[in-house]
Amino acid sequence: MKALSIAALVVLLLGAADAATSAEAAASSVGLVKVVVGNAVVQRGDQTLSARPGLLLMEGDLLRTGADGRLGVVLRDDTRVSLGPETEIRIDRFVFAPAQGHLALVLKMARGVAAYVSGKIAKLDPDAVRVETPVAIVGVRGTRFAARLETP
Amino acid sequence: MPAAGRRHRWILARAACCLALAACATAKPAPKQNTFALLAEPEGGAGQISVVSASGTQVLSQPGQATVVVVDKPPSQPVVLDEAEISRTFGDALAAMPVAPVHFILYFKEDSDDLTPESQALLPDFFRAVREHDPADVSIVGHTDTRADRDYNYKLGLRRANRLADLLAAQGVDRSTLDIDSHGKDDLLIKTGDQVPEPRNRRVEITVR
Repeated sequence: MKALSIAALVVLLLGAADAATSAEAAASSVGLVKVVVGNAVVQRGDQTLSARPGLLLMEGDLLRTGADGRLGVVLRDDTRVSLGPETEIRIDRFVFAPAQGHLALVLKMARGVAAYVSGKIAKLDPDAVRVETPVAIVGVRGTRFAARLETP
Repeated sequence: MPAAGRRHRWILARAACCLALAACATAKPAPKQNTFALLAEPEGGAGQISVVSASGTQVLSQPGQATVVVVDKPPSQPVVLDEAEISRTFGDALAAMPVAPVHFILYFKEDSDDLTPESQALLPDFFRAVREHDPADVSIVGHTDTRADRDYNYKLGLRRANRLADLLAAQGVDRSTLDIDSHGKDDLLIKTGDQVPEPRNRRVEITVR
């Protein structure tokens, strides 16, 4: 009996968490998934979401592709980022409130190959945009660039 | 077994699982050699990036220019990669780049949610952009000039935005995917004083992403 009611409670809690997640996502999403090829996931805390076009992204999300995977995303300031296979990038910080003068974009790339096209944050405040890799920090002045991280 | 005991076991199992995953993640060595290339803009030329390592900085400002950073070393002298080299090195990522977002400003008649004839003529471009970006994230924000009070203008801006949302819905777009808002007279395109008629402020700004 006890076990049953706990099971019911867990189901209820999971349901509530799901509803909260989707409402929250709509309110504070930082962008969305546009292109998915092969195996690509979005890691959000301890949740692993399979990437599909239209999936909303949140600050802190980790984008990850498998050996056959590719992923393309657009952020709310029109920044575009695409990932080749075996790639990991975290949207570490995204703040886009131009009216309040609050702007920040920090991407942390851990491995793989990626391309970047800057959006409004880089135009309005170039110093607000940074891409970090294990060995370098890239400052971006309104432009497009690509990076490949490898272990020779 | 008491339920509390079960829960503990479950938590322990989850923790072990997390630890195993974390161990897997950290087992992969961090890539020690990073190549960065500045890419040409579609309209020609290029912007600029600065690549900063623990022991130096390199600024890239020519299209195709690339630098290599090896751990603990300053970034290498830039070399220019040709298109074939760019495509060989970064093509896997470049192929997944989403289409660029597009923006529209459509104008309305005075104190009305009817489009001006010039803006009416742009509707097919707007509809096409939404189709080309499917599944699109469409934001539609209504604006007004500074005639009348804030509350009235907020509602007028919202009517304008909703008018466009209705037109999109009639094209088969799911209305729940549209982000509709009004800034009333608080976000002027052309700065004016209060109570100033200004056709260029009677507008809806649209982003299709």
